[in-house]
Amino acid sequence: MNRSTLALALAGSLATALAGAAFAAPLSPEKMAGNEKCYGVALKGQNDCAAGAGTTCAGTSTMDYQGNAWKAVPKGTCVTMKGGMHMGSLTPIKS
Amino acid sequence: MDFATGQHAFAQALLHADAPLPLGLTGAGGAVDAARFAVYRNNVHVGLTRALAQRFGVTERLVGAEFFAGMARAYAQDHKPSSPLIIDYGDDFPDFIAGFEPAQTLPYLPDVARLEAAWTRAYHAADAAPLAFSRLAAFTPEALATLTLKPHPSATLLRSPYPAGAIWAAHQGTELADIEAWQPETVLVVRPEMAVNVHVLPASDGLFAALLFAGGTLGAAAEAALTEEPTFDFGAALVGLLTLSAFAGIHQGDVP
Repeated sequence: MNRSTLALALAGSLATALAGAAFAAPLSPEKMAGNEKCYGVALKGQNDCAAGAGTTCAGTSTMDYQGNAWKAVPKGTCVTMKGGMHMGSLTPIKS
Repeated sequence: MDFATGQHAFAQALLHADAPLPLGLTGAGGAVDAARFAVYRNNVHVGLTRALAQRFGVTERLVGAEFFAGMARAYAQDHKPSSPLIIDYGDDFPDFIAGFEPAQTLPYLPDVARLEAAWTRAYHAADAAPLAFSRLAAFTPEALATLTLKPHPSATLLRSPYPAGAIWAAHQGTELADIEAWQPETVLVVRPEMAVNVHVLPASDGLFAALLFAGGTLGAAAEAALTEEPTFDFGAALVGLLTLSAFAGIHQGDVP
């Protein structure tokens, strides 16, 4: 495909998509709700709980800062997560 | 010793376990008390590791609290805050995890952490009006292909060979949800208004979106996407990304 053919194809493709888009501006999250299946799967998150640490001056009596001689294996949900064992069969995507 | 020098020495002693105690710091009886100063050191490090645990909650759940605490301690040992804002702490924690030997059994862990870091960045990013569809209508076909788009200030695009978005989503409730498909995901994190949105993009549009985020022109990104996947739909992909508010600005290059 040469350059001007590509440009025309892109413009045509965009015109078609814009004509199909029933909205004139990007959608707010509230409006998105009904459109989740149109494009991109919206994943539900817990609002604000991961906003980051605030300031705390709470002290601690545990001596967490002791030594680096620490050996452990991950044993959280990675062990129980369904599907998590299939990771070895994946071929990384090319970037 | 002037105040600045003394202050610097105090900070160094606080941050490094093997640094000498600050000169002149003694108890009421005049004796140097290493155990008391260790309380200060400990509080600084516990504060940092707790900040990481708050920002990377899914990562912590994945590996368990004990493992996470050890990993966070190892990170805090060599990575002190570079910003006075504790919300920024851990921006390069995902990269650290990628090189952290005990975590190598979970190759998807760095990408899940990257998603969490992106979430916090999006939450605190500057507000900006998303790019409107109407702005695209003004260009000729030739000019359209030369456009580059400026990502929304809150937006991060994560290309993962793992289902980073699905893993993150599975951990949003108290109960662990199933991962329906273990497959590569391109995840867009963006905050167009007040709420941070996390979207998994259609697989065929991942490369296109990544090239646009990297500053590629619409023409070059579309060409690469079409080469990779001949059924790639340029219009649908671009309108889709605009619908999600991925971009905030537009720049026209030289028309050949």
